[in-house]
Amino acid sequence: MKNFLFTPRAAVYAGIFIVLLLLPKMINAYHLSLVETGLSLAIMALGLNLLLRYTGVLSFGIGAYFAAGAYAVGMLNMYWPEYYTFETAILASILVSAAVSALFGFVCVRHTRIFFSILTLALSMLLFAVLEKAYHITGGSDGIRIPIPTFFGHEFEGMRRFQFLTGPYYYILLGIFSASTLIMLAIVNSPFGKALQATRDNELRAEMIGVRVRRFRWYAFVIAGTFSGLSGGVWCFVSGHITPEICNWVFSGEVVYMVLLGGFMIFEGPIVGAMLFTYLRLYAVAATEYWMLIIGATLVILVLLLPGGVTGGLYDLIERFKPKGRAKAGAEVKHA
Amino acid sequence: MGNKSDRRSFLKTAGAVAGGAAAASLLGAGGAAAAKKRGVPSGPIKVAAISFLSGPAAGPFGIPGDNSYKMMADIYNKQGGILGRKIKLISLDEAGGAKGQVELARKLILEDKVDVILGYISSGDCKAVLPLSDELGGLMLAYDCGTHVLMEGKKSPYKTPKYELGFRTAAHLGQDNIALALAIKKYMPNVKKIAGINQDYAWGRDSWHIFELAIKKLIPGVEVVKTLWPKIFTTDFTAHVSALQGSGAQIIHSSLWGGDAVTFMKQAKAAGLFKQAKMALSRGEPYPQEVGAAFPEGQFVCCAGAHYFLYPAWDKWPLNKWFVAEYKKRYNKYPTYPSYHAFQAITAYKVAVEKAASLVGGWPTIDEIAKAMGNLGFETPSGYLTINKDHNAREDCLVGITKMTKDYPFPILDPDRLEVFPSFQVNAPAGMRTEDWIKSWK
Amino acid sequence: MGLIYALNGLYFAAFLFLTSLGLSIILGVMGILNLAHGSLYAVGGFIAAFVIGLSAGSAAPLMILAAGGCAMLATAAVGFAMETTLLKPMYRRPLEYQLLMTFGILMLLEDGIKLIFGGESRYASAPFDAMGSVQIMGSTYPLYFLFVMLVAVAAGLFIWWLMVKTRLGIMLRAIEMDRDMAQAMGIPMRALTIVAFVLGASFAGLAGALVVPTTPAVLGMGMDVLIMAFIVVVIGGLGSLKGAFLGSLIVGLTRSFTVAYFAELEMPLLFLIAVIILIIKPEGLFGQK
Repeated sequence: MKNFLFTPRAAVYAGIFIVLLLLPKMINAYHLSLVETGLSLAIMALGLNLLLRYTGVLSFGIGAYFAAGAYAVGMLNMYWPEYYTFETAILASILVSAAVSALFGFVCVRHTRIFFSILTLALSMLLFAVLEKAYHITGGSDGIRIPIPTFFGHEFEGMRRFQFLTGPYYYILLGIFSASTLIMLAIVNSPFGKALQATRDNELRAEMIGVRVRRFRWYAFVIAGTFSGLSGGVWCFVSGHITPEICNWVFSGEVVYMVLLGGFMIFEGPIVGAMLFTYLRLYAVAATEYWMLIIGATLVILVLLLPGGVTGGLYDLIERFKPKGRAKAGAEVKHA
Repeated sequence: MGNKSDRRSFLKTAGAVAGGAAAASLLGAGGAAAAKKRGVPSGPIKVAAISFLSGPAAGPFGIPGDNSYKMMADIYNKQGGILGRKIKLISLDEAGGAKGQVELARKLILEDKVDVILGYISSGDCKAVLPLSDELGGLMLAYDCGTHVLMEGKKSPYKTPKYELGFRTAAHLGQDNIALALAIKKYMPNVKKIAGINQDYAWGRDSWHIFELAIKKLIPGVEVVKTLWPKIFTTDFTAHVSALQGSGAQIIHSSLWGGDAVTFMKQAKAAGLFKQAKMALSRGEPYPQEVGAAFPEGQFVCCAGAHYFLYPAWDKWPLNKWFVAEYKKRYNKYPTYPSYHAFQAITAYKVAVEKAASLVGGWPTIDEIAKAMGNLGFETPSGYLTINKDHNAREDCLVGITKMTKDYPFPILDPDRLEVFPSFQVNAPAGMRTEDWIKSWK
Repeated sequence: MGLIYALNGLYFAAFLFLTSLGLSIILGVMGILNLAHGSLYAVGGFIAAFVIGLSAGSAAPLMILAAGGCAMLATAAVGFAMETTLLKPMYRRPLEYQLLMTFGILMLLEDGIKLIFGGESRYASAPFDAMGSVQIMGSTYPLYFLFVMLVAVAAGLFIWWLMVKTRLGIMLRAIEMDRDMAQAMGIPMRALTIVAFVLGASFAGLAGALVVPTTPAVLGMGMDVLIMAFIVVVIGGLGSLKGAFLGSLIVGLTRSFTVAYFAELEMPLLFLIAVIILIIKPEGLFGQK
């Protein structure tokens, strides 16, 4: 980590962080609320990419852990309102999503490729069915309202929710987002991260050199699930109301879409994707009742023409203008 | 989109509108003269209308509701709009769950600065979005969702209104199920065994809960012999039908909607369920028309208010006749209750603006409109609608019994056995939870 | 009553089998999970409803034949177009692109249906009504359901015959077992892939056509069916036809008796069976490791 501080990447990070810090002065509250949605979802997208890019398995049910995190917050408020503070809520979302992903992951990591994707999808739909069915416990399809919590003893009384969201909450969220990004960066560059990539590239070889493949894949699954849970935990305050739809596979599919839109071969790609997708989807829905046509066509074009996503495309563009493009695992697309 | 078709169809329908003008004048086009002092902005009024335009709820609710919005915006614009301002209707899809709708509502209020949002069929969306009215300072009228707790507090008595800028312009599921229970008490006071088949989500659960409370209060000896909770969008009810036949129920309560309602009625009829039991459908009004002649006779059908194309009778209440004719002409179907609900929402906004304008003399602010709307009564094709101080609409509720006649290719509600319960008999008073109200009946 | 419950279970099993058949073929032969399978089913449903509406008044068997035929032809055509334009470049690409491509196609098809047929529900129960009911041991039972069971059995037999007795089927199974080996042996991969996809798509269309007389065609009707088909495929073993058949029977029969005796349990039941099987036999009943 020490070396990281002196790389150009660290300088870019610092620059972006400062811009994000000043953002409330630069854009209006409405756009800030959208940026908040994007930042929250970006944490989940980073988690998904740990599985996709670094472990080589595609989860099509990441929404289950997002929902686990969000419902942990909602149900904490429903059943133990006296303990409902921001700290306990976030702790609950982390613990619950870690537990759920440990359980589900145990079943899923026995498989790879398409089988892994189907299992993650089926399990998320199981949780979806339970959330919707257990009407007396979870509020069913009507969902749960998420009130403003206290923050380390500080109360935001008298503040309208939207003022809170676009005021103090933005900085809280920004802090959590930045910490998550740095932690994920540390994870992928750690020996554990390297071992994961070894299992991705050649499972047999990794086993031979002593990597316990399933165990490692399971760890990665739990980390990804916990990131998603944290994402759900911080997002539910932004939304103010949660319903089981966040556990439906369609939402999980949208998260995969985000990651590919941003470009999954570059570490920061999923963050860019989460931001872009938040805007793309909302503006498509607000523009026409045929919004699915817009989103679907964008997706098809993206897959056909821009497989490296937005960041991959940019990277290619930069490489093209450099006199001698250094070969780097940037935008080239992994072939199965 | 709305604007273009407005202009295109203007000449075509101008004559017809003149014909219906007598009825239309009931809608109250007054107030234009009063709005001179403060001035009226010149641009159009941006009205966002949000209904399901994709997915399984589009056919039964979203499209009939959206059709009605388009029709009424067109008609009001031909009458000169609201205080001379044209209505610019923005039809949007209620897609993406509560998550998507919260984001969309923020955009509409904060960025697009719409004047009012008329929306939401799903109760989950209503519960998620209505709090935004006060948070963001946008006027919102919930027009169709059924949940009875939207405007209620946690305990009776609760403080009203729950939202300063949030309203509901159609009564909730409480009245459907209470009215059904009252009608059953009248026609089958000695019923012993009842059963329920409701979808396994909040709507079905809530509907059965209120019905069970009410019927047990009204007919104390009644026994519940079976409650079934099929999942939503079930295509095969054979197992449920068999289970109901085995239970010996005389009355089967159901809040099934859309394709589920049609599928169930068809399969139940084919299996002979209606030889032994009668249905009590809490929002069954659209389905005789959808199913056609195969819809069984003698079933209790509630109309989610008094929304029926033959009630109030056309000779007594020309506004209904006019509304039905106008809708039939444009869409070649009779309007169903979501169409009536959409009429109520857009008209509530119009009437409230005109009322507020006549008081303040100019285009009213959002708070002035809300104040006018918190105590409003006006005529609708279904009779009289009131919006009370708890910002909740109350209306009379119609329960009928299906009967085949030679005038229509589907069973209608028997004109000799229409039961209309006045709003105070089927809606809890302001500040009292529906459940507590039923429990307090003597 | 017991017999009626068993019949109900068999009907539901038939429906599940028909919807999962196409998904299973495509998954087995091509290794692609077709997320647009439910939308193809919806296309079949809307086409069938349209055809039944046109042929109102004719005899029930004729209506069903026309509707089923048109639906299968239409979905086969959509499937062919999908495979040859959008999916073909995907075979060499990683899984995430394949899945996202079918996800994109799903959205295009959903809105495409709305563009062509409008948003209103389409009712087409004429064949169901015309066939009427039969008396079975004192209970009334719709004849149409018995007919659907027959079709499912016929479809199963046809696929079994195709896969086991014909040269085409043997080649398809060879691809299923080892793609590279099959290619090395000179099996015409391209043509067979198209055949498998078109076959799978047309079965989705057939399932949609058969359901429309019992329940109206509505927007988004395929989304739920897709999940049910998944569960059956997971239970039966990924890509196994035998598994899909047995999985459908287990789920169908259990559901019918559960609704009758423990109504509360119905919805999570499908998932519950799937989870139990995943725990004791993770590869599914007939899946290969």
